[in-house]
Amino acid sequence: MRVSLNWLKDYVDFNMSVEELVERLNLSGTAVESVRYLGKGLENIVVGQIRKIEPHPNADKLVVCQVDAGVEEDITIVCGAKNMKKGDKVPVALVDTVLPNGIKIKKAKLRGVESWGMMCSEIELNLGEDTSGLMILDSNLKVGEKLGKALNLEDVVLELEITPNRPDCMGMIGVAREVAAITGGELKKPAIEIEEANELANDFAGVEIMDADLCPRYVARIIKDVKIGPSPQWFQKRLKAVGLRPINNIVDITNYVMWETSQPLHAFDYEKLKDGKIIVRRAGNDETILTLDDMERQLNDSMLVIADSSGPVALAGVMGGASSEVSESTTTILLESAHFKPTNIMRTSRGLGLISESSLRFERGTDPNGVVFAANRAAQLMAEFADGKVLKGLIDVYPKIINPRTMKLRVNRVNKILGTDLPAGEVDKILESLEIEASKAEQDNQLNVLIPTFRPDLEREIDLVEEIGRIYGYNRIQSTLPESSGKQGGLSLSQKIEKRIKNSLISSGFWETINYSFVTPNFYDKIRLNKEHPLATYISLKNPLSEDQSVLRTTLIPGLLDVVKRNVNRNIYNVQVFEMGRVFRPVSEKELPDELLMVGGAATGSWSEGQWFGKEQPIDFFSIKGAIESLLDSLGIEDWFLQRALHPTFHPGKCAELFINSDVAGILGEVHPKVNTAYEFPNKVVVFEFFVDVLVSHTKSITRFSEIPRYPGISLDVSLIVDEKVSNEQIIKVVRTTGGKLLKEVRLFDLYTGKNIPTGKKSLAYSLTYRAADRTLTDEEVMRVQERVIAGLEKNLGAEIRVS
Amino acid sequence: MSVLNELEKIKEEGQNEISDASSLEGLESARVSFLGKKGKVTTILKSLGDLSSEERPAIGKKANEVRQFMENIINKRKKELENEVLKRKLEEEVIDITLPGKRSPAGKRHLITQIIDEITDVFIGLGYKVAEGPEVETEYYNFDALNTPVDHPARSLMDTLYTQKDGVLLRTHTSPVQVRVMKETLPPVYIIAPGKAYRKDVPDPSHSPMFHQVEGLAVDKNITFGDLKGTLEAFAKQIFGADREVRLRPHFFPFTEPSVEVDVSCIMCNGKGCRVCGGVGWLEILGAGMVDPNVLNEVGYDPEEVSGFAFGMGVERIAMLKYGVNDIRLFYENDLRFLEQF
Ligand SMILES: [Zn+2]
Repeated sequence: MRVSLNWLKDYVDFNMSVEELVERLNLSGTAVESVRYLGKGLENIVVGQIRKIEPHPNADKLVVCQVDAGVEEDITIVCGAKNMKKGDKVPVALVDTVLPNGIKIKKAKLRGVESWGMMCSEIELNLGEDTSGLMILDSNLKVGEKLGKALNLEDVVLELEITPNRPDCMGMIGVAREVAAITGGELKKPAIEIEEANELANDFAGVEIMDADLCPRYVARIIKDVKIGPSPQWFQKRLKAVGLRPINNIVDITNYVMWETSQPLHAFDYEKLKDGKIIVRRAGNDETILTLDDMERQLNDSMLVIADSSGPVALAGVMGGASSEVSESTTTILLESAHFKPTNIMRTSRGLGLISESSLRFERGTDPNGVVFAANRAAQLMAEFADGKVLKGLIDVYPKIINPRTMKLRVNRVNKILGTDLPAGEVDKILESLEIEASKAEQDNQLNVLIPTFRPDLEREIDLVEEIGRIYGYNRIQSTLPESSGKQGGLSLSQKIEKRIKNSLISSGFWETINYSFVTPNFYDKIRLNKEHPLATYISLKNPLSEDQSVLRTTLIPGLLDVVKRNVNRNIYNVQVFEMGRVFRPVSEKELPDELLMVGGAATGSWSEGQWFGKEQPIDFFSIKGAIESLLDSLGIEDWFLQRALHPTFHPGKCAELFINSDVAGILGEVHPKVNTAYEFPNKVVVFEFFVDVLVSHTKSITRFSEIPRYPGISLDVSLIVDEKVSNEQIIKVVRTTGGKLLKEVRLFDLYTGKNIPTGKKSLAYSLTYRAADRTLTDEEVMRVQERVIAGLEKNLGAEIRVS
Repeated sequence: MSVLNELEKIKEEGQNEISDASSLEGLESARVSFLGKKGKVTTILKSLGDLSSEERPAIGKKANEVRQFMENIINKRKKELENEVLKRKLEEEVIDITLPGKRSPAGKRHLITQIIDEITDVFIGLGYKVAEGPEVETEYYNFDALNTPVDHPARSLMDTLYTQKDGVLLRTHTSPVQVRVMKETLPPVYIIAPGKAYRKDVPDPSHSPMFHQVEGLAVDKNITFGDLKGTLEAFAKQIFGADREVRLRPHFFPFTEPSVEVDVSCIMCNGKGCRVCGGVGWLEILGAGMVDPNVLNEVGYDPEEVSGFAFGMGVERIAMLKYGVNDIRLFYENDLRFLEQF
């Protein structure tokens, strides 16, 4: 909603700077989106008169004009516009003038002809939207005079953002009411005086409402003998300032009064209405109408039309019809001021893709009891500006009277919600400033409140509390903190563990990422899952932004691989990333899917690229396994193991499932070479994905202290050669069972195959640490156990022990 | 030459040789040549027995004096030489301290997580718990229970992402968590709900179809608008700096009444007006209001008994303002060169 401050001053006096007014409007809920200073930057624009127009010798599209701009000699200006003729007065910017858009006018040579200034269009001067040609000025203006002064242009136009709950502020009077309330000024509504003719409107026309639900009220006035012509300059200027295009006095008046009152009006050419009859009815499914914008509209029975006895003449509340349009030959006006059901207007307007200033107001809700005022106001202006004869009486069909609502307001309630201590008198004063009548109720500290029908947003007591708060000023309300009623903040146990999981991965070198929850429907294809795989059953979106984002992820892995891909494509080859986020698994019998919190990671390249102090450590299965071990360690989870697994996404020999106790916690491994190829990864990529709830449920939140060993341990090494098939785990198991209580640690420190080792065999070396809690062990004691271990390895695994 | 004279000569000779010794090895060979088994002093001491009883005490005394003297200066010289050796060694061990350090790999939390954690910490300090709810929601929790009219444009297929199942959508804000928590617990309720939300926004520098919000809710006896104001001021000062000012502008949301938009004084220009704040000196950071009685009724609370406030903020917006990130899409590209910056 654009508001001209010059115009606004008709309705309210306010005595403050524009900046202060803007600030107050912002803080009382009427957001000011922009402020436009009309006439600003026009200080050096003068009124000029075109003396001569000649063709440009070198350019068909340009002309060369001699212009009298009030300086000693006529000046030469080269111009591209077409709409001017010799003798026209136009705005002229002389050399060195800066236009409102910041452009500085310089002497220029245009296709070989020197130009000493510029003749301007409306848009170049920020005076309107017209870009079609030069702004042709009134011929009475004095040549050489400053344009701002000549046109009396100085005005400020505010662009207001009106929230959908405030239809009243779609009119100047509504805005003025707000300004009055927040500045303490007085609201002055225009006084209406109409000299009515003797003829009765009712004898001329009739109104019939067929659907009172969609049209609760229809008011018409008849104005005879109008003389169609332009409306007065000052009137046009106001319309232009707020972005309305002046058309003729009648149409301008309906627009003006709509802008003033927020009540849309429509002027019909009475002569073109068959039988002088207005019928408000639903359209037929086979009907069409040619609207004022010259478009043939297909109607249906959800739409309300204004019809005469031959057919639709207007699309109710949205746009008039071409057949009954006011034209230069119009002499009698049927003026419509009606009330329509907001949701119906919205549906019609959206359905046809036809949004007008009128529909914007009706769909928010107009004032059913403001229609008469608007009709009379327009009639008065038609008498004034078009010499019209206003016939006696209004035709007012109001089958469903809508009365102002009454309600009670408890002053205590106001203070309890706002945290204020306002007396009833102040509450009353604020309400009255908004034209909401309040009177003392029988009950103590309560007010009886009458809600005017222009405020359909005020339905409940709480709505009035808001009105009082915002007019009183939220920034005047004392800041407090809620009184504690024994509240205790903090994270839940699982939220804390989720943080620990992230922290562990971060300290292992992983960067946290966040990926979209929606993925392409063929994600499972890219990670080699077939359509029958449970992860290939997903939730699809009904209205996705694109095919690529049309289903919800069931696993984090594709997203993580995409992150690797994106970085690799940007020549970043060492990528270690993780994500903790939800995946969505449909459950057929439930309305909502299961949302599982997963933690997954992907790594490729090396932890550190070749450095001056050492070689790079290429990432492989064991890099991820190490990170997982640290993670499990940080959660105090001990009873875990890996089990070799087969999964289509992974390399069949480099994939394992993580078990904690007997629960599957997730999977880790190197991605299958085919996946690698599909993504065009230059290096191997390892990934993992775990269920956070399984990790959480096995996390030891309290670790009991255990005594630090008091006596030294003895470490002995054992090197052995075994078949390649024998796993580390098998060896450790034998060592553990034969090593007994004294054996505290077993650590693999060497693994070797190749030269000096027979084919099919491998060499491993372990360090075994023995210790007792209550004494220092003797060498003999330890040797006895070590021999038992060696014997066990030989016997159970056919190991060949190498003595070092 | 008398033995005494000889001793005097040996002493002088030894003193020279010892002080001339330029290395521990040289010093040792000097020691051996005087005090070793076959050394000059040792030889004299060994020959004392051959002397007459008149000569022996004086020569013995002198010989022992010389030995003592030489041991002392050898020890002294040894310390000197050792210090020199150490000094040389330390000099040799000088390193180029400008070589890069040996870092162990470590990642970082995503910037969005960092901001959420920061906000969460503030509200935990104020006595709030952290609540969670589903990202795939029903229309009921996302709209109906939050007092959103049936024909509200936010519900349209243009604005909201729906699943194929009727009435099931991707939540457009974290506000449905409010409703779920209130339906499950009795007041007092003090929670924040950080999480993902979704809207049908074509990605551009300031829009992303997925984004993060932090929702807050306090419902208790006697919660006032003043409490909302105080809480948000405490929040803004902790997140944006102690000298921030906060202002509340009336606004309209379906599920709060009164509703406000909340601005903080611009973090770039301190309120003077700059490009970041569009010249107005204020940055809008969140929407808030008093919980609408309709919402309280819907969850079975009595609006006459309890009142509450709620607020919601966009995490990406706060991250962008605070860190000057100029394109929201960067948060989801996960380019390591972006992640490493924060
Ligand atoms: Zn700023």
